[in-house]
Amino acid sequence: MNNRLKVLRAERNWSQAHLAEALGVSRQTVNALETGRYDPSLPLAFRIARVFGQPIESIFHDEDPAP
Amino acid sequence: MFACMARGLKRVALYTLLGFLAFFALMVATGFFIGYQSARGVDVDADRLTFWLAAGVAVVCMTGAIAITVGWMRAIDEAAREAHKSAWFWGGCGGMAVAGVLFILASTPLAAALQPPSWFLGRTDPAAYMATGAAILALLMTAGYTLAWAWWWWRRR
Repeated sequence: MNNRLKVLRAERNWSQAHLAEALGVSRQTVNALETGRYDPSLPLAFRIARVFGQPIESIFHDEDPAP
Repeated sequence: MFACMARGLKRVALYTLLGFLAFFALMVATGFFIGYQSARGVDVDADRLTFWLAAGVAVVCMTGAIAITVGWMRAIDEAAREAHKSAWFWGGCGGMAVAGVLFILASTPLAAALQPPSWFLGRTDPAAYMATGAAILALLMTAGYTLAWAWWWWRRR
């Protein structure tokens, strides 16, 4: 699953550590999320959406196009 | 919220320290009690006493280890938990698979002639070899767990 976490964080000039603190996770987890190698749980995805003030679907994109 | 996580881990570390201190105090108190009984002339069967002391120590240590693990798993975030779960499954299964090979080889007639050293040096009784088998399995699973855990984070660096 792809996401815009890195772009959204850069737009706000936040560090990974700052975002990690806002989400209640470790910096390593934020890094894994940004590189798209770890897909968050639904509760964490909702937290991410709340922190950035955007709907989940505008942050996360499915790699496969809908049938 | 990350501060909450750090506080959770600090609480686990504090409880662990307190647990070790309580355990140490219990050992000292038990030692004093046994010494007192011995000085009073009470007949103390050393072997039986050692067995029950070891049983008590084992139960307290393992219960404490489980309690610490529960606290730890609750304090870390979901990715860290996922890393541990994945490591337990793949690393643990990998370690068991290696142990399975040793287990099958041990069933062959050629292995019957082997005199491998046991976990407790100098002892060759069945209990010592049972402990050796358990220790080998635990070591292999721990090694697999560590490798799988490191691999999980390496892939997501």
